Amino acid sequence: MGKVVGIDLGTTNSLVAYVRDGVPVVIRDESGDGLVPSIVSVGTDGTIFVGREAQRRLLTAPASTVYSVKRFMGRGIEDVHEDASLLSFAVGGEPGGVVRIGIAGREFTPPEISAFVLRELKRRAEDHFREQGEFDFEVDRAVITVPAYFNDAQRTATRDAGRLAGLEVLRIINEPTAASLAYGLDKRNRGTVAVYDLGGGTFDISILKVEDGVFQVLATNGDTHLGGDDIDRLLTESVLADIAGPAARNPAYENQEDVGRVPRSGPAVLIQAIRKAVIQAKRDLSEADETEIRVESTGLPAGYSRRITRADFERMIMPLVERTLGPCRQALADAGLEPKDIDEAVLVGGSTRIPLVRRVVHELFERPPHSDLNPDEVVALGAAIQADILISGRREMLLLDVTPLSLGIETMGGVMSKIIMRNSTIPASGREMFTSFADNQTAVDVHVLQGERELASDCRSLARFRLRGIPPMPAGMPRIEVRFQIDANGILSVGARELRTSIEQTIEVKPSYGLTDQEVERMLIESFEHAEADFEARLLIEARNEAETVILATEKALRRPDLDRIAAESLEPGERERIEDALADAKRAIGSDDREKIQMKTETLNQATRHLAEVVMNRSVREALAGKNVNDV
Amino acid sequence: MTPDPIPLRSTSTLECRNCGAGAPVDEHFCPQCNRILALGRYGDFFTFFGLPRRLGLDPQDLERRFRDLSRKFHPDYFYNAPPAERLASLERSSYLNDAYRTLRNPAARIEHLLAVEGLPPAASDGGSVKVPPTLLEEVFALNEELDEIRELRESGGDEAQLRARLEQARAPIARKREEHERRIGELSDRYDSQAGSPAAERKTTLEALREQLLEQKYIANLIATIEREVATVG
Repeated sequence: MGKVVGIDLGTTNSLVAYVRDGVPVVIRDESGDGLVPSIVSVGTDGTIFVGREAQRRLLTAPASTVYSVKRFMGRGIEDVHEDASLLSFAVGGEPGGVVRIGIAGREFTPPEISAFVLRELKRRAEDHFREQGEFDFEVDRAVITVPAYFNDAQRTATRDAGRLAGLEVLRIINEPTAASLAYGLDKRNRGTVAVYDLGGGTFDISILKVEDGVFQVLATNGDTHLGGDDIDRLLTESVLADIAGPAARNPAYENQEDVGRVPRSGPAVLIQAIRKAVIQAKRDLSEADETEIRVESTGLPAGYSRRITRADFERMIMPLVERTLGPCRQALADAGLEPKDIDEAVLVGGSTRIPLVRRVVHELFERPPHSDLNPDEVVALGAAIQADILISGRREMLLLDVTPLSLGIETMGGVMSKIIMRNSTIPASGREMFTSFADNQTAVDVHVLQGERELASDCRSLARFRLRGIPPMPAGMPRIEVRFQIDANGILSVGARELRTSIEQTIEVKPSYGLTDQEVERMLIESFEHAEADFEARLLIEARNEAETVILATEKALRRPDLDRIAAESLEPGERERIEDALADAKRAIGSDDREKIQMKTETLNQATRHLAEVVMNRSVREALAGKNVNDV
Repeated sequence: MTPDPIPLRSTSTLECRNCGAGAPVDEHFCPQCNRILALGRYGDFFTFFGLPRRLGLDPQDLERRFRDLSRKFHPDYFYNAPPAERLASLERSSYLNDAYRTLRNPAARIEHLLAVEGLPPAASDGGSVKVPPTLLEEVFALNEELDEIRELRESGGDEAQLRARLEQARAPIARKREEHERRIGELSDRYDSQAGSPAAERKTTLEALREQLLEQKYIANLIATIEREVATVG
């Protein structure tokens, strides 16, 4: 058996954590960074870039670079038009089906894109375990978190992504609940806790009762389309409006790779440059009262910059922040509580760093909210704890979560008939009786829905299926019991039985916004076929990193104030020029996707600088030793 | 699609799928090998919690039992178990959650008792269309008042005044509700005290409870109607 990890698969960033000696820890890269940007980019030759590398490509190859894909998980093209207008990559798909993302001449579904991020996290964890000297370093199982307000299709899409990444998904758990586990570990207290989770793309509120190690969610609510991305979009649109005209219509920004079926309101490179600038400004304003939105490449000679105060910013985003209040009040009402009944309010998600958000939460719950744990990391830590509970079988802590949305079926007249109510503790099951309307009818169609609205057409369509094999009987005689089972992941399964004959029915569920098992299988096979290209991408990144290291060291050496003296005293004629040429070559090579060229030029630069490095080293040693007695050394 | 009476499986004993030993139908774990048992029947939530079939119960005790049973059944702890046990854990946890949700809520608890005692349910949500005789007077007065208020609103009547009238209309209905709650409390106590009494006496009490429950639902709908009006006034 391999290793087990907890994964926070975020809209903006993703993290992987595990429990070491009873303590959850985030796995970091060499520079101590735990965050992997949830960004995937495809090179012209098909290589896949993930994380920071892909993030860099947002500015150079925006049409081939996908971000915030979590917003498309388990959704249809009709859901995402609003976002699509400002995206720099192409999205499409049949109405009523899964969203398709077209990049670099290939088409991907959101679970496939997420799988690339998961594979990167898996690899990061495996590298870590290998470095720790673990013999069995393979990571094969994971707990993955989702927003509490994710519906069945979104959860299933996340589980599919895990499978595509070669992970057995032990459990899908809700982000706010995971966060409460991480908090609960420290405190071991009891009481009623409100977890306010505003991330990059989603908002959740969960009200929990913690007692005796049992974390019982009383109610949850949220908005799977509300988060930092919306703030960024608001700011981006306002900057675009400022500079509309000259730059936005600059033909230089027309995109070659544009195969989009959704109209876009601006050229991709410009939008990405603006997006980068406004995100920086947004972050600045969590600390400073005033900052500048500075866009480097607007196509205008002087670029673009605009001062923005925190008050301006707060005025702009107030409507968005206020949208979180309705769900909070609904969750309180569903839990049968008043704000004063909340013992603690906890902040989760990067967007809760915004002072306005903190103020609003403080006012709502009438107490200052906690943010003792890093709001970016706390969810991954909780996922790691849950993974540990699952494999160890330890029973000190238990999460009892709820289903965020009511589950039902469409009945006569297009009305939604609820079978499992929202905020029911999961696992939960419900049963419904069906019968036939015509003599000898052998099949009945069932339409499964999720949502709170009265009309089926206003609820989310989860699946349609046909009950077959009903024994021929007069109309109204068959008694078919359909069982709906929501498991601990919040994912639905359906079973049916004719009670008079005890005949089990065959059910083929066609997910409305999901992939069929066959599609997942096919993608798995394809991902093996692409594995070589992905491996190549990995090598390319490593080669590039290596080149960067050598380039930086060389530049540093060439900047030495005493370089002229060194050259005169110790270097051969022309040696310095050879180094400078090799440096220029290496810098050119690093911009290409040609790994062998990068490696060759790096090696050439390495050779060219070897003598200089020795000379510099000797000088340093001599200087260090100068004036010192042998005994001091 | 009508709500179906709770089907009781006719079995009175269970067979452990692990060791084959027999177990009483309401046991959670095999007395022989201690493995989790498949759910024996859909039936009595009281028995499932190890409680007597009484309407008065201590919510804190119920919550404690819920937590204890959750710790025993939850799928988290059966991750490595054979498929049959995993399924049993899923079934039993789902059932436990349903049972807890039902018994925690006093009205749902009475409904459940009616069902396990073999009485017809006190109508599904929405309540019966027929006005309960004891409420005729109030319903008549309320409907007249609501009509007037609606007319006033449409002709641009003063908001504060409209709200005041709605409050006034609510008062007698709210009093009725309190009356019913008290009555339901009394009947529940009576039922609990009749544990040793003849079945016919208990049944009379249950019938009375069922009537009260029907009326209470009707009242809840009336109050919801008033709330909707209040919301329209703004």
